[in-house]
Amino acid sequence: MKKLFPLSLRDSLLTAMILGLAALLCVLLRIIDGTSGDSYVSLVFLLAVFLISRFTTGYFYGTFASLFSVLAINYLFTYPYMAFNFTLAGYPLTILCTLAVAIITGTLTTRVKEQERIRSENEKERLRSNLLRSVSHDFRTPLTSIIGGTSALLENDDSFSQEQRIRLLKGVQEDARWLLRIVENLLSITRMEQSSGSIKIDLRPEPVEELVEDTVIKFRRIHPEWNLHVILPDDFLLVSVDPLLIEQVLLNLLENSLRHGKSATHTTLTVRNDSTHAIFEVEDDGCGIDEKLLPHLFEGKGFSAEGTNDKQRNMGIGLSVCRAIIKAHHGTLTAENAASGGALFRFTLPMED
Amino acid sequence: MNALPLILLIEDEENIRSFMKAILASNDYLPLEAGNAAEALLQISSRNPDLILLDLGLPDLDGMELLRRIRQKYSTPIIVVSARTFESEKVDALDAGADDYITKPFGTSELLARVRTALRHAAEKQSSLHSRHEGRFTCRDLVIDYDKRRVYVGGEDVHLTQNEYKIVAMLSQHAGKVLTYDSIIRAIWGINPSSDNKILRVNMANIRRKIEKSTAEPQYIFTEMGVGYRMAEEDA
Repeated sequence: MKKLFPLSLRDSLLTAMILGLAALLCVLLRIIDGTSGDSYVSLVFLLAVFLISRFTTGYFYGTFASLFSVLAINYLFTYPYMAFNFTLAGYPLTILCTLAVAIITGTLTTRVKEQERIRSENEKERLRSNLLRSVSHDFRTPLTSIIGGTSALLENDDSFSQEQRIRLLKGVQEDARWLLRIVENLLSITRMEQSSGSIKIDLRPEPVEELVEDTVIKFRRIHPEWNLHVILPDDFLLVSVDPLLIEQVLLNLLENSLRHGKSATHTTLTVRNDSTHAIFEVEDDGCGIDEKLLPHLFEGKGFSAEGTNDKQRNMGIGLSVCRAIIKAHHGTLTAENAASGGALFRFTLPMED
Repeated sequence: MNALPLILLIEDEENIRSFMKAILASNDYLPLEAGNAAEALLQISSRNPDLILLDLGLPDLDGMELLRRIRQKYSTPIIVVSARTFESEKVDALDAGADDYITKPFGTSELLARVRTALRHAAEKQSSLHSRHEGRFTCRDLVIDYDKRRVYVGGEDVHLTQNEYKIVAMLSQHAGKVLTYDSIIRAIWGINPSSDNKILRVNMANIRRKIEKSTAEPQYIFTEMGVGYRMAEEDA
């Protein structure tokens, strides 16, 4: 349960710093200004109370700051200086006003934070329901072909030629692999949401070359013939990742290039780095991405556009999963059409120091 | 007189058991089946198989527990069949005495390669030759000369540091089998491995730059993500 008055080192330091700055500002103003007016003192502290309530958690710091401010104003900045004087006219009103500011700001801040949480919750919920919808639909097509293909083989075994039999079995195998890929994507989602439903992943340093190697081996196992070209940096790069999730992203992007690149004949995977990030690029020499689809590519809606077959529909899920994974790694994933005309997907991952 | 190696399949899914059985039978192995832990223990004591393929998800007993129970009494090589969930599960299984693992879903060639390697290592162990420190290891263009402590690729002497050589030699002595990061670190540096295995990863990166043509598609030393490294099998 959330506490109304949670204490933390960060918030304590922040409060001390803001109050200190406010006091310093008042002292400086008085030196510059002479002794003429104390009118700004209350306003400066009011602002301090507001800032503290806004940027700390719970009500404690705001309330504390308002009480402190009232006393500080009385002690330091109103006549008689360096002494308390509780007989000033309107003093209880000042106390009430600053307290009210602290509490109201605290309430508003808590509400804003709550809304942020709800929004991210909604985003996850949307991803999940999109997935469920597309998955249940996408499961049906390959399952139909698997059930159809296998029953054809079982029931009419004699009438098929060896060639037909192999073609049917290959279809079954391909569709089964397709299902597996969808399942792996679903597993990635659950892997990210293990603890208390929030997106949290277990990061550890992994060498980029080993991530790529393992991915390439897995890809080759399924597509031994495909022309995949890999370019790695000479330097030894470590990235903080959950390796299985990043492999999932790479596999999705590689498979996409082969399935959706239509006229694509080869794919290039390049890794380079700037001073803080490793940059992964998957580029194919296919027909590129329809400019109209580009802005919606990662929304997980799938494509209902005419002229697309069933397999293309799944691209949406894969990409939304990719983006969720990269986001959880504090990286970015973008798509564009390369100068050569093919599709280019690029993601970044923060490097270990 | 039974020359065919006896392999016990411990797996509760009948369909998976049946296709694995088909693969093994058509490759000159004699498969035995067990659908649960109790059956498995019975089969082991009565038939004494040459190799055990153990799926960790069993209905009557935790697979890891069964693995430990088998290990208490038998040294039969065990290959764990793991559903792809967590790398830590694989490491735990290897620590608990499994000889190797294979991840679902797997292909025919992968399964057969694991089985072959495990049987070969078991045979070498029996002929008390299991730790080879002399002679040569040859895998395509890679040659390791244990006597001279040198490594050659395509006839060229590769200059490895002491530790790099030790890592390559250790992997080659267990060629085809996965070695965990921890077991390598313990053997090479003689220290208790912490969670940080960067020292090994950096050494491996250097080794690869010296012996592999491409670090993205290595031919000799493969990464088992989150678990360790595996060296390609020696030429027959």
